[in-house]
Amino acid sequence: MHIADGVLPFSITAAGYALTVCGVGISLRTLHNEDLPKIAVVTASFFVASLVHLPLGPTSVHLLLPGIVGALLGSSSFLSITIGLFLQSLLFQFGGLTALGANALMMGTPALICGWLFRRIRGQTRTSNAVAGALVSGIGTMMAACILAALLMTAGEDFWGVARVAMIAHIPVIVVEALVGAGIVSFLYQVKPELLIPGAASG
Amino acid sequence: MSAPSNNLPPVESQPPLFSIRQLTFTYPDGTPGLQGVTLDIHTGERIALLGLNGSGKSTLVRHLNGLNAVQKGICLFEGRNIESEPGAVLRQRVGLLFQDPDDQLFCSTVYEDVAFGPRNQGKDEARVDELVRGTLAAVSLDHLLCKSAHNLSYGQKKRAALAAVLAMEPDVLILDEPTANLDPFQERLIRELLAGYAGTLIIIEHDLFFLQGLCDRALVLVEGRVEHDCPLDDLLQNPRLLIACGLDFTFRCTGPDSAAATAGLKPSRIIHGEKTGGDHLRSPRTGEPFIELQRYSYRYSDGTTALRDISFSLFTGETVALIGENGAGKSTLALSLLGLYRGDGHLLLAGEQVSESELSRLWQRVGMVFQHSTEQLFCPSCREEVAFGPRQVGLTDAEVEHRTQEALTLVRLNGYEERVPLNMSHGEQKRLAIAAALSLHPDLLILDEPTAGLDLRSEALLLQILSDLPMTKLLITHDLTFISRLSRRTVVLHRGRIIRDYATSEFLNDRRLEEIAGLDYGYKRCCYQAMEKALEKRSDFVQDNQL
Amino acid sequence: MKNQVSKVIVLDTLESSALAIVTVAVVSLLVVLFRRRKKHRYSDNREPDWSIPVLDAQSDGSSFFHSWHPSVKVGTLCASCFLIVSLNTLTWSLAAVGICILAVLLARTPWERLSRRLVAISGFLAMLVVLLPFTSAVRPEDTVFLIFGMENWPFHQRGLIVALTIVCKAVSVVLLMEPMLATAPFSRTLQGFSGLGLPRKLLSMIALCHRYLFVFREEILYMQRAMRVRGFVPRTNLATMRIMGNCFGMLFIRSFERTERIYEAMLSRGYRGSFPAGPEPPKTVYDFIKAAICLVIALLLLSVDRIMPSPLL
Repeated sequence: MHIADGVLPFSITAAGYALTVCGVGISLRTLHNEDLPKIAVVTASFFVASLVHLPLGPTSVHLLLPGIVGALLGSSSFLSITIGLFLQSLLFQFGGLTALGANALMMGTPALICGWLFRRIRGQTRTSNAVAGALVSGIGTMMAACILAALLMTAGEDFWGVARVAMIAHIPVIVVEALVGAGIVSFLYQVKPELLIPGAASG
Repeated sequence: MSAPSNNLPPVESQPPLFSIRQLTFTYPDGTPGLQGVTLDIHTGERIALLGLNGSGKSTLVRHLNGLNAVQKGICLFEGRNIESEPGAVLRQRVGLLFQDPDDQLFCSTVYEDVAFGPRNQGKDEARVDELVRGTLAAVSLDHLLCKSAHNLSYGQKKRAALAAVLAMEPDVLILDEPTANLDPFQERLIRELLAGYAGTLIIIEHDLFFLQGLCDRALVLVEGRVEHDCPLDDLLQNPRLLIACGLDFTFRCTGPDSAAATAGLKPSRIIHGEKTGGDHLRSPRTGEPFIELQRYSYRYSDGTTALRDISFSLFTGETVALIGENGAGKSTLALSLLGLYRGDGHLLLAGEQVSESELSRLWQRVGMVFQHSTEQLFCPSCREEVAFGPRQVGLTDAEVEHRTQEALTLVRLNGYEERVPLNMSHGEQKRLAIAAALSLHPDLLILDEPTAGLDLRSEALLLQILSDLPMTKLLITHDLTFISRLSRRTVVLHRGRIIRDYATSEFLNDRRLEEIAGLDYGYKRCCYQAMEKALEKRSDFVQDNQL
Repeated sequence: MKNQVSKVIVLDTLESSALAIVTVAVVSLLVVLFRRRKKHRYSDNREPDWSIPVLDAQSDGSSFFHSWHPSVKVGTLCASCFLIVSLNTLTWSLAAVGICILAVLLARTPWERLSRRLVAISGFLAMLVVLLPFTSAVRPEDTVFLIFGMENWPFHQRGLIVALTIVCKAVSVVLLMEPMLATAPFSRTLQGFSGLGLPRKLLSMIALCHRYLFVFREEILYMQRAMRVRGFVPRTNLATMRIMGNCFGMLFIRSFERTERIYEAMLSRGYRGSFPAGPEPPKTVYDFIKAAICLVIALLLLSVDRIMPSPLL
């Protein structure tokens, strides 16, 4: 779930933008020129993956993927997610242009943390990698949901109830995300394990 | 290694353009790429770089462009070492066209893409504009200047990518399989363009017919070594040599006419209708067709018509070749037969209309091998890949295992169970995709461009496998050998209509097809005949070899 | 709790049932409309619609917006968006919607893509409209409706107004997106964003990403097609999640492999770390006049919003 235009107060919108600009600025500074096209193209595949709807009972959900993006791109994941969200808001209106800063924080911060976490816990075997993949995918989405709730709560006491509902609505998404995340990581581990090694993705 | 014996005017007075000595390259994972390659390339030469997939052709040309750094040995361009850092001067003089055009069209519009190279060369904007318009006109894409690459057809993308390289005015042009997946018309277009190119030309290509007359020197790589270096014509007229380098294309040269004869079809069995009217001709089969499209039309969501009022039927046991120019609607027809595209008209399976809910029943009887093999492989091992279909329809584990083994054996991939599909060669992936369809025991197998991008050895094996398969087959291809060797009936699509439906032998002698559908098989036929004559002369060699 | 509220209106059975009927009618109408739209989208082939809209299909018009220099246009309209989301009152947010509709009429951009955008935000906004009236905080001077049968769930008038204000602001911004993005080729629009201070590096990454969206969308469609033909039916179970994981994993691997090839293609065409820029058309005085007009309108809206919060009440 992305935040639409006009929900957050101006101060939070501006603060979100300021932090996102800092994050992207640092990423761009540290980005090697040869990685520029690579991150951009891989971002496109994450974007496309997030468009696919998975069945969930009578309805369907699409993935947010912050955990997986973090695991695959590491410190570049914030940049990747910001680019993806920018295009999503231009093309689909998933998340408003004015709320882009807040949305990027909401998805990018978990990605950074998950990337770090994944490297710490992934271990050496296929099972441990799959479990780590499930964990970071689930945790990533959970963190995104928490940040969403926190951002909504900044909009005033009126939004506390909405924030609570938004959190609860994310629980099934977290489960699906964790299961698919395990599938993705275990597949990558079997087929192209070097993608899961930090730095190898960009080298 | 045979001595270079090109028949060009001697250019020894100047240093060679490329001078390569004992070049050796090993991939990071330890796979050898090149082993002690030594050769000279002179200005103005036209070189055909031949060899099986994995023989090091791409690795070699990547050195010539500086994409691979020299590990061991010497690689000189005009007497200087080739640098591999980005933006090296060399790259502005050596143009490299890769296989997949999508990899080379990375800007927002075709114009930007073609301008990318010249702008990087630092040319001024007026000159860039002139070059962009000039080269795009040369590949007849000048009407699509401001389109995005995703709005272009495959052939158009391929030409746009060529234009993007040509706009840099390279002294050397290197092409990696320029004709893969192209119809004869597009192929001729590219061929004419290359024939008019003045600089040094290096072409990697499996299609020897395409190279004939375009190149004069042949370099054959085998396992990272230069096995032969001789004039191309000498090579083509020496089947023993070709067989020795794994370029046995004799399977292509049993001759179309003799193939039709072995197929045992007499043209008299076909009812001759009005061919020029472009009307659909019914095959005179009696009995119920296995699958049938009746008065079927399909439009894309953007409104363009892909198929117009098609009536098409397939009978049990026959193999039908479906041909037509790129964009004629061949793949759309295949997807319509699978019920994936839903247009106006009827889809009948064994005489019964197939409703939306019965599609899974249809898919158990009709197997499909899509054009891009990697896009249909999504499992971490070959076993899972082949077992995927049977598992989905709920067969028992024993039955799944049995079918998996059976299908893998049919495509000669037994022993590959635990291999990772993604890391296999292109030919193996194609065969795996066929196995994945076969494990469902389909009655009909649809193959969309099965030969695209395969080397000669894989093609020969594929041809063998397909001719051994007993089920009904629908074959979408541009490859005359496959058409003549496998099918008895040929259906020609042109702009969404069936304009021909007749015996393959008739198709092979149909000289009027070119003017109607722009399907220029003429020059390929000439190639066949030339090749056949050459082979007849040397047939003793072939026989020697086959003994 | 209720003693904090100044005004409590209790709806009797008749009024409550009338309200319920109206609500049910509106919801079912929306559902029917949505279904029809969905059906329409699925009708021509049986594959899910993940199509990526082509923004610049109508970029060659000649309206107020088409002739506007992209850089100035994007800058102005982004600024206007920020001013609009700063509005506080429902009345002036409604006025903003009206003005933005005028802008769309002026730009003559198609309504179809606009409706797609509105559908995209409808989920989030619907959640607000449904939840906020029941969950918003209670303040003095609030009006609360007690609906028969739902006495435990008081309906706050202020919550509804807050929700509707947000809806109006979001819709106005959505309306402005089409004139902003669809009236110039996408590459020019992106160039326009550099006027907002976005670094060129970032813009070339965005352009690259946009280009390959279409390539990867096709890849995943082909993959899904191949899976369906081999009998795969997505369900809510572990096997589906695992297979979809494979499918995504394959997509990511292929994208990583493709980036290598793209990078080499770029290198071999002389790439040195930045995309060369084409010539930029000159900005004229008219571009700035247009910018001034738009900004004055937006600033006027904001100031009346602050000075006269409720002109009608």
